[in-house]
Amino acid sequence: MVKQQDAVFRQAYPAPPYWVARFDVANPPAPGAFVLADLGGPLRQALFPATIDADGFTVMLPPHHPATRLLPGATVNVLGPLGQGFRIDGVTRLLLVAEIASLPPLLPLLEAAPAVALVIEAPTRAQLPPPDRFPPAVELTLVTRDGSAGHLGPLESQDPAPANLERVMPRLVELIAWAECACFACPNDRYPALAAIVRAARVQPAPDFAQALVQVPMPCGVGACEVCRTQTRATAQTQGGEKHACIDGPVFDMLLL
Amino acid sequence: MIELAPRHKFGLPIASPVMPAAGAFGYGDTYHDLVDLRVLGALVTNPMSLTPREAARGRRIAIHGEHFVAHTGLPNPGVRRVLQQYRQTWERLPIPVIVHLIATTPAETAQAAERLSGVPNVVGIELGVVDNVTPQRALNLLDAARADGDLPVIVRVPFTGVDALAPLLADHGADALTLTAPPRAVLPASDAPEDSEARRYLRGRLYGPALFPLLLNVLARWCSKLPVPVIACGGIASLQDATACLELGATALQVDALLWRDPLILQRIAEGLAKFETSTISE
Repeated sequence: MVKQQDAVFRQAYPAPPYWVARFDVANPPAPGAFVLADLGGPLRQALFPATIDADGFTVMLPPHHPATRLLPGATVNVLGPLGQGFRIDGVTRLLLVAEIASLPPLLPLLEAAPAVALVIEAPTRAQLPPPDRFPPAVELTLVTRDGSAGHLGPLESQDPAPANLERVMPRLVELIAWAECACFACPNDRYPALAAIVRAARVQPAPDFAQALVQVPMPCGVGACEVCRTQTRATAQTQGGEKHACIDGPVFDMLLL
Repeated sequence: MIELAPRHKFGLPIASPVMPAAGAFGYGDTYHDLVDLRVLGALVTNPMSLTPREAARGRRIAIHGEHFVAHTGLPNPGVRRVLQQYRQTWERLPIPVIVHLIATTPAETAQAAERLSGVPNVVGIELGVVDNVTPQRALNLLDAARADGDLPVIVRVPFTGVDALAPLLADHGADALTLTAPPRAVLPASDAPEDSEARRYLRGRLYGPALFPLLLNVLARWCSKLPVPVIACGGIASLQDATACLELGATALQVDALLWRDPLILQRIAEGLAKFETSTISE
């Protein structure tokens, strides 16, 4: 059932490379699900929670996002919660993989399983968040595309690494083999290559072993506008074809994308 | 009741002049939690074609100020699948259904119109024609839609084709005209990679408040000259906007993509107009 509710904006503060904004709301979205907030402009904007509690949620946004300009106490009309989030019930070993700009929707999962490994890829060292921002129990793998910190990216690359640098691929394969479930948040065009890595690392992975957050504009949130249609493959268990990211996703089985 | 097809043998009566525009409200199962459908005149469905169409590849929306361009490719599973999926939903709706049909070829249009005849609670067809349709082609498509079906046919006229098409279609048997389809426009896709011209700019249908004065211009020019009811569509965003459309001669109105931001706008306009009508009658 789709509902409108009022969210109360509490505060926003910088946490490079993002801004954090806090909203109080009666019914916050689950990890990977979202609300559509009316922040001015012609279309509502999707807000994915970075942390969730009983009274509301925080979002991590790029600087200059309209939510960062709200005044504390401002009421924001939101539509939702909407969409299907990550499905990780009963998972004990969880792998999270994200490109830095897409990381926030994965953050509510940092403590969602007894053992969590997080792989973050950024263009360069300066764009990586400080490691002490993550819970100590999370096993962190940092990746930079220029090799300035951590492993050398990109995640999908199998090219030989220059001297003194280590490609992330072997580590990623190892973590995929270790995990019971892997959740990805990257630009959509990277998912086919990441799915190929999963298929190479696991023999017949179970449905929903690899879940990917599809990032597309979702103007209406209810499947009316057809803007967010996403192509999926059919399997013996599921019917493929075009699905609405806003109601059937935005989290999909990555191997079906 | 408001009659949208006075020249048709069955007519097309609706209780309220307010409807969602094609492509803005889905097939009737999307906004029912939020919007009280009973206050609307009819459901105008998302566009559908005889055969399935896939979504456009690549970027589908670009925003600029208060306006945006959308290019979806009008994806739909085809008339047969839509009817399988939504026939029962439409039958249960408290308002009549007007199916928006993408007019591709005369043969396909005729076949699709025939399939829609006799579907419970479907009371009319809104025919969508391409922007650069020639007058002769538009007449052929209208003839095709009316040939084997028995439903009233409304034609949604392209923004750039009103002068050439509206009087012609009205004289040729269109039961009503929707003025107009959103105009085509191009906007920069600001976050797209800069390696290709096509990905840096998005061509599609334009939505936003600037359409409203353009709509009023069309209504002021054509409503009194056309022998059929006119349904106003384009940038209508408030009760005042709706009232202006009706004052300029429109019989009914459609709210377009603005309702994605504010789904309750439909209800507010419909209830406001009903209140106004009640107070006018009692005076």
